[in-house]
Amino acid sequence: MIHASNITHYYGDELALDNINLEINQGEFICLVGESGSGKSTLLSILSTLLKPSHGQLEICDMNSKKIANIDQFRRENIGFVFQFHYLIEYLTVLENIELATDKQNSEHSKTLLHYLEIENIQHKYPNEISGGQRQRAAIARALANQPKIIFADEPTGNLDSKNSQKVFELLKELSSQNITVVIATHDAKLAQMADKIYEVQDGTISIHN
Amino acid sequence: MISNSIKALRQNKLKTMLIYASLSFSIIAVFLITAISTGIISMYSSMLKSDAHIIVTQAKISDTFFSNVDVKLVPQIEKIDGVKKVSAFIVGASPVESLPIVAIYGASSNKLETYKLSSGTFPKEKEVIVGEAIFSQLENKQKITIGQDKFKISGVFHSDVGFENGGVVMPLSSAGKLFNKSSSMLLIDIDLSKDIDFIIAQINAKSSDIEAKSTTSFIDNYNQFKILDYSSYAISSIAFLMGLLGIASIMSITVNERKDEFGIMKALGISSSKIIGSLALESTIIAVFSYITALLFSTFILFSIQYSKALQGYINGEITLSLALAVFITTILMALLGTIIPSYKASKIDPIVLIQRGQA
Repeated sequence: MIHASNITHYYGDELALDNINLEINQGEFICLVGESGSGKSTLLSILSTLLKPSHGQLEICDMNSKKIANIDQFRRENIGFVFQFHYLIEYLTVLENIELATDKQNSEHSKTLLHYLEIENIQHKYPNEISGGQRQRAAIARALANQPKIIFADEPTGNLDSKNSQKVFELLKELSSQNITVVIATHDAKLAQMADKIYEVQDGTISIHN
Repeated sequence: MISNSIKALRQNKLKTMLIYASLSFSIIAVFLITAISTGIISMYSSMLKSDAHIIVTQAKISDTFFSNVDVKLVPQIEKIDGVKKVSAFIVGASPVESLPIVAIYGASSNKLETYKLSSGTFPKEKEVIVGEAIFSQLENKQKITIGQDKFKISGVFHSDVGFENGGVVMPLSSAGKLFNKSSSMLLIDIDLSKDIDFIIAQINAKSSDIEAKSTTSFIDNYNQFKILDYSSYAISSIAFLMGLLGIASIMSITVNERKDEFGIMKALGISSSKIIGSLALESTIIAVFSYITALLFSTFILFSIQYSKALQGYINGEITLSLALAVFITTILMALLGTIIPSYKASKIDPIVLIQRGQA
């Protein structure tokens, strides 16, 4: 599903990732752990096509990322993204945020998602009218709106209490059981234990965590 | 898409209001500057056009105020085949009572008859008729002092031309004494079935001190109109450019401040063209509302100044259809340009970089 070879990335002169090689299979639940500044978010951004690496190759959904003609369309059809700060669009309601990336409005799928994530009652509310946990669930619903093959989540529990964090991880775990590949960058080693595989990112290098 | 754009505009109320106000004021400036100068030219032109197909002024003179044409030429010109009527006209200006400057006209008797009296009689020597606009402002409704001379007000006339309606008209001989000239110009009415160029050539042959032109040619080539035209274009262009640069820079800052939103949308797979399109729609909505506001406000101001006592009815602006269309198209184009250029640049940046920059 994802094959990264010799990925190296620089921010200016500063080396952020050093020759990363990684293979992720369909339906796997993967956690990238590491301290702040270790490079895990950079790696996640590259794996999810949100950032072009300085060097190296990325194959995703059997396609070389550099050869994807319409990257926006590719993301819309294959990838869902959950950000640490949820990044819901403030002037749109929860439902409008969820349907932002889809061409369909009031679809059955949106209704199913709202029900599945238990946010039906807040669908017409704006992000500033709901709690942090609800916002993050809305963000997950948005990531699932286009029925992606892969979900990337960057510190999805970074702003949640332990109870809500547990819920979000359980939800993502459940998605991977539905054959959706889930890749999470987190600093929470305890929650990461729920993953099929844990990769530790340290000083721009990666190692499998036992 | 439109509802999302409106929501986005409402979310950024302050910025939306700033762009709206800045664009509205710049369009108002353009409308007023251009409309007033166009109006002045149009008023003076219609005043001359109403009586003449040909205008005779002193040769090589830049302004009709300084022109002096000998009225002794009138009988000679009247004899030219195709000439129907020759009137002599003096254009001057003088303070009257507390009014700093009032247009004073001297008219030959056949020109005097063309004024539509609303009361009184046509003036004789030492008498004047006054326009309704200035009559309403005079304290003494019986007599008027121009220079050192006192004139009896014999009548009041109405004219749709602001310069005339706010002016004083007297017999040519009285004005001649006042301004020490024979006449400023001769206004010639001709039989239109005759060759106007041939008649002009015959008039010009009468004296080397005069210059005859068709009224249209005179208006097109009159230096004062040209100066007024160029000045108004220059001033309104600068006002418009400043306003538009303001719009472009505010729109550009707004787009830059919303880079994170742009990045999130791109991360969600929304195409750059769709994102740019929605931002362009926001700009278009603001531009259209600003334009409508400016058009209504300018029309109201122009209407008000026609009746402003301080302006004596001399300022008569008009927003022509071509001006309204030109300003509309330019406004929309510049607002779009100010949005599309920074949006397009942002679309070339990786989404995650946009999100990080937006949050920085």
